[in-house]
Amino acid sequence: MIDFSVYETKQLEIYAYRCPECRAEYYPAPMLCAKCHCRRDPSGIVHKDWDPFPLEGACTLLTWTRVWALPEGYDRPCEMFGIVEFPNGLRAAGRLEAASPVMGMALVARVEESTERPGPPAKVFVFSEA
Amino acid sequence: MAPRVGIVGIGHIKFGNLSEYDLVDIMAYTATDALRDAGILADRRMVDQLFVANMGGGVINHQTGIASALVSRLGLEPTPAELVENGPASGGSAIKLGYMAVASGMADVVMVVGGETMRKVTGWKATDFVATLGHPEAEYGMGLTLPAFGAMFARLYMERYGVTERDLALVAVKDHANAARNKYAHVQEPCTIEAIHESPDAHVVNNYVAEPLRLYSVCPVSDGAATVILVNMDSPKAAAFRHPPIRIAGLGSATDTHCVHNRKDPLHLDAVRLSAEKALAMAKLTPQDISFAELHDAFVVLELAIAEEVGFYPRGKAVEAVRRNENAIDGKLPLNTSGGLKAKGHPVGATGVSQVVELVRQLRGKAEPGRQVKNPRYGMAVNFGGFGNNVVAIICAKE
Ligand SMILES: [Zn+2]
Repeated sequence: MIDFSVYETKQLEIYAYRCPECRAEYYPAPMLCAKCHCRRDPSGIVHKDWDPFPLEGACTLLTWTRVWALPEGYDRPCEMFGIVEFPNGLRAAGRLEAASPVMGMALVARVEESTERPGPPAKVFVFSEA
Repeated sequence: MAPRVGIVGIGHIKFGNLSEYDLVDIMAYTATDALRDAGILADRRMVDQLFVANMGGGVINHQTGIASALVSRLGLEPTPAELVENGPASGGSAIKLGYMAVASGMADVVMVVGGETMRKVTGWKATDFVATLGHPEAEYGMGLTLPAFGAMFARLYMERYGVTERDLALVAVKDHANAARNKYAHVQEPCTIEAIHESPDAHVVNNYVAEPLRLYSVCPVSDGAATVILVNMDSPKAAAFRHPPIRIAGLGSATDTHCVHNRKDPLHLDAVRLSAEKALAMAKLTPQDISFAELHDAFVVLELAIAEEVGFYPRGKAVEAVRRNENAIDGKLPLNTSGGLKAKGHPVGATGVSQVVELVRQLRGKAEPGRQVKNPRYGMAVNFGGFGNNVVAIICAKE
């Protein structure tokens, strides 16, 4: 019997990628490593795909905004967004949840599923107070 | 040696809400104005290449093959035509390709038409459509839009350089004053610093769109079209035109990272700096030679940031010129004499062409009274696609 409960508990993740040759890290994944020019093969058929690893956990807020003119799909008046930096130097943009955001504040990144935008559900970063 | 390329015809529709009109019709309308301005309406088959700048035809208008549709609408068959889509820099890119077509010797007369009808859909849909230029998963999918990027850039810029909301409002007041005199502008209403910043009701009139950007810090959603006609100035055909050509003295373009978060310093707009450097080098000019400029102020903070990347001011110093009102029509360096994207409007595919139409109007000395720069020699346009992902800089010269 298949245990479907594992699908429900499976944590959502967004991946950064590590070059298998020189270990340089990227988010999102390019096709070529900027440092050693190693290529990625998303199919994994001809070349090995790069090593994905989840981008999550502690990060720092670089800049943020509260948007009142949201695009199609949102049913609330405003939403906060920010750009963060992780300890490994990678940066990412996503949603922000903080009572009074301050640039440089410590945050924690998690991943949620969003159905706001047109098309299939998307995985989004949510940055909240540490 | 490559031939000299000049502009001999311009056309421009009044930007605004043109949602009841057909996209190809409004493009054809400005093309017709440009052909008439050039004095070749009846001889329009002199045009041996057409480039059309448009970003959203396929998405908003559910129409493709727009370039050939426009040829047919103008009765210009069999002139070859191609569509250029390069985000909000489509217009600048189309002019660049027009320049290359003439410089390569493949064409002597090129018409470049830019147009967009964004108000066919709701503001939410228009915002969503422009946001599709972001990275599909890392930006668009996250819910990020251009106002969000503009706001996050503004917050960093204001913090680093001590720029205030009042400073941004001053840029808007200057832009609206120019647009009020521009017959082609979307918003022809002047505004005062009292109304949008100082009065107790200012925050109601000038509410937040994406903090710290307010309504008067961002461009409106506009429909519109604009056309320029380029000619090989060294060809005998150049004698056929009514106006002496305004020469394209310099042209440069560059690309930056697709994801904004991947820029080492998020306040450095490398593609702006590089495209301006290339254009200035080609024209053999320095930033100090430029008489006036149209800078892509989809968010007014970009007028300051672009002015610094181009080299008009050191980093963080553009705001001092704003406080001294040096960028007004009669100031040391007039910026966005048309009203800019802020008040003239920003129909994305049309914008780059519209900027160059303004350069030509000023360099011909034919801008409206009260809006004419005094004896301009060189004008510069910076057309900014994505959030600085792709940029085209163009310098026009009065011969
Ligand atoms: Zn590598």
